[in-house]
Amino acid sequence: MVFSSVPFLFFFLPAFLILYYLFPGRAKNYVLLVFSLVFYAWGEPVYILLMLLSSFVDYLDGLLQEKFGTTLLRKRIFLAIALIINFSLLAYFKYADFAVGIFNRVSPWTATLPGVALPVGISFYTFQTVSYSIDVYKGRVKVEHNYLSYLTYVSMFPQLIAGPIVRFSTVQEELHKREVNESGFVRGMKRFLPGLLRKVLIANQIGALWDTIRVADDISIVTAWLGLLCFTLQLYYDFSAYSDMAIGLGWMLGFHFPENFIYPLSATSVTDFWHRWHISLSTWFRDYVYIPLGGNRVGVAKHLRNMFAVWFLTGLWHGASWNFVLWGLYHGILLTLEKYVWGKGLAKLPKFLQHLYAIVIVVFGFGIFTFDDLGEMKQYFVQLIGLPGNAFLGREFGWYAGNYLPFLLTAIVLAFPVYPWFQKKLAGANAYRRNLYTTCGALLLIALFMVAVASLVRDTYNPFLYFRF
Amino acid sequence: MEEQKNQATTEQAEKQITLTDRVVVYLICAMILCFGIAFFVTPKKEFSESENRTLAKAPEFTFENVKSGRFMDGIGTYTADHFPMRDRFLSIMTETERLSGRKEINGVYLAQDGSLIEVYDAPVNTQKQIAQFTKLAENVENADCYLMLVPTAVSIYADKLPENAPDAEAQQFEGMRTAFPIKGISRLTQNKVICQIYAAMPKKMHTIYVTDLLHADAQWTLQAGGENAAARRLYYRTDHHWTTYGAYVGYQEFCMAAGFEPVALTDYTAEVVSEDFRGTIYSKLNDPYFGTDTIISYSDPDWKLTVEYSDTKEVTDTIYNPEYLSRKDQYSYFLNNIHPMVTITNDAVSDGAIAVVKDSYANCFVPFLLNHYHTVYVFDTRYYKGGPSKFINEHPEITDVLILYNMNTIDNDTGIGGIY
Repeated sequence: MVFSSVPFLFFFLPAFLILYYLFPGRAKNYVLLVFSLVFYAWGEPVYILLMLLSSFVDYLDGLLQEKFGTTLLRKRIFLAIALIINFSLLAYFKYADFAVGIFNRVSPWTATLPGVALPVGISFYTFQTVSYSIDVYKGRVKVEHNYLSYLTYVSMFPQLIAGPIVRFSTVQEELHKREVNESGFVRGMKRFLPGLLRKVLIANQIGALWDTIRVADDISIVTAWLGLLCFTLQLYYDFSAYSDMAIGLGWMLGFHFPENFIYPLSATSVTDFWHRWHISLSTWFRDYVYIPLGGNRVGVAKHLRNMFAVWFLTGLWHGASWNFVLWGLYHGILLTLEKYVWGKGLAKLPKFLQHLYAIVIVVFGFGIFTFDDLGEMKQYFVQLIGLPGNAFLGREFGWYAGNYLPFLLTAIVLAFPVYPWFQKKLAGANAYRRNLYTTCGALLLIALFMVAVASLVRDTYNPFLYFRF
Repeated sequence: MEEQKNQATTEQAEKQITLTDRVVVYLICAMILCFGIAFFVTPKKEFSESENRTLAKAPEFTFENVKSGRFMDGIGTYTADHFPMRDRFLSIMTETERLSGRKEINGVYLAQDGSLIEVYDAPVNTQKQIAQFTKLAENVENADCYLMLVPTAVSIYADKLPENAPDAEAQQFEGMRTAFPIKGISRLTQNKVICQIYAAMPKKMHTIYVTDLLHADAQWTLQAGGENAAARRLYYRTDHHWTTYGAYVGYQEFCMAAGFEPVALTDYTAEVVSEDFRGTIYSKLNDPYFGTDTIISYSDPDWKLTVEYSDTKEVTDTIYNPEYLSRKDQYSYFLNNIHPMVTITNDAVSDGAIAVVKDSYANCFVPFLLNHYHTVYVFDTRYYKGGPSKFINEHPEITDVLILYNMNTIDNDTGIGGIY
């Protein structure tokens, strides 16, 4: 199911919340579990079995490590088994076609493509459930004895299919004992609603513009860059809105999920960008790949190897296609260069230039990210620098920009931390002004909510981009 | 560490709940609940008059449907299609996009004069049409065949399209060398496609080129201005059809080809039959902001008509059906909506018979033929199965065959396949 849809917003969510608040204490988990399974099965009626299997493997692994993991070797074996099973499933369901494709190209033999459909959210829940096994092995988390509690954690619908990637250690305590109250509900809704608006009114609108520019040929240089900017904005709003809604829903239920985005497009360097973009994924790779490999506390050669491994995998995580790997390595190389070559110099530049530097790199990077057909990518990219002799500005730019100007401007402005800045200003203003602005804000929110509903009613089909990963 | 701190600060900010926050949140919750309940208690419509389409049916709850996900997708479209106040929400969305400066919404240009003009999609069936028309001309044995392809508003009113519109028509008007292409939108003008089809026709087929006269008339109206302008609109503001006046211009061109003296428009009795017509393009946007159209109907007091509908076996004495004027699809007033075959005889004319093979553009055109033929056979090939050429050959009194289509629906309506 999709958060931004009529069935979720008007039927699933109210029914769930009412039951959730009516049931006492521990029974709340069961309500959450049942609704979560329905939520997942709504999009993946068959592959839900895969999620149940995957989570059971790690649950069992925790128990086995506790009971029989008397020696380090045994624990290692148990951990290895869990990792092998989980990653084999992920490999088969996500990467089989890709691998066979490569095999066919480099070997003299030809194998038929398995043609497996990607189960929604498999990359997200595999990473969550695997982190539990590793944390048990490292002694960072207590072993969970109740399978239903563990399954509730993995399947929890707010964050199941598109993150944030919540670790078991983050929610274990809350899973058994959490505060559910009215102020949590209000706070959660206050977080959820703007997320909904960002998805429906910004991501979908900007996405429609990108869809048009993407398939147009002979576009001008400026339009080509506008197109990539649109994709960047769409991806950011789409994905961060999902996290906003997930975190908001979590608060309503008494859970606290980690923040996933902190205004990434306002970054001043690539390093800064990765401290702000999809944080739960980059910290996952940091904690479970980079640091175990030695991180940066090793020689330069090894550090470079570690960077390569992390960014190769980060790229690959996003999809079974070379462009994602390319995108990961592109960022890995730039991060390395910032660390060893121009990072210090960059910091001395005027702030404006730092922002420009970061945004150009990020936008160009998402160009690599969006074209999983390398031929199409090349065709589009030559237009960015005007190689086919395309115009600089072009009349179509006027058409596109004119049609979407208010949405583009809103998207660009809100990508910077203007809201917190405004909040701070407001706190210092006098009571009259404060009341005036908050009232206007409230009315605006209600009006925009109506528009968002209108958009949902008109455009039934609006999937989240990150469902693919 | 830093992230945790950040998280803590954002949460700190979110923790401060004011009374306004509560009011807003609970208001929205109440709205969600109301709409959710209203969905269940309001009666469901099968057909949306304002959108002019059949609404989705509730999906069947079967194991197969659930397993394949069809049930869930069906619920999605069903709940959206039958959402309470759906029409109102559609206009909210259109209004939002219009106010934000959008000049093209849902395949419709918001023209500079406030009218609605449909985007001309890239034609994909041109070769098929050439084959069908050729076949019809070859199969008809003893009658003259005329082909009239009518450009739509996007072509004739290209000067009214929004600035920088990505349509080849607009580009041509603005004197640009090339169109900037967007997939789906045609890089060819309708005129080019018409010429392409005409050039491929066999000698037997008389092609009637109506573009220039329509253009000239539009220009004349533009120059003259004044109060005549509204009455001389060639296309409706909110519908994809040409107006009765537009059809009259087409009729003049037909007369020239067939060698008749056209009957002057002033010889007919003109009657404004509707001033609140909201057409098919309106339905795509569903926003009252775009206003209404006037429908003018022309008739000759001397007509003595018998109109026979082959499908219903109904016989009437008029080609107009005023019942439709109180409904949404008011254009169906002409020729009583769509029928596979209609036979019209006018006893005021002694002889002559014509077969018209057409789409709905001809519905307001056919009345002008009545003063020249005793019998007019009207075939709608989208619904008439079997091919009209057999019928035409079996009726030797038919001397003329007129094929009349508009450039927009001819390409996206598959019914053209039954033309021969």
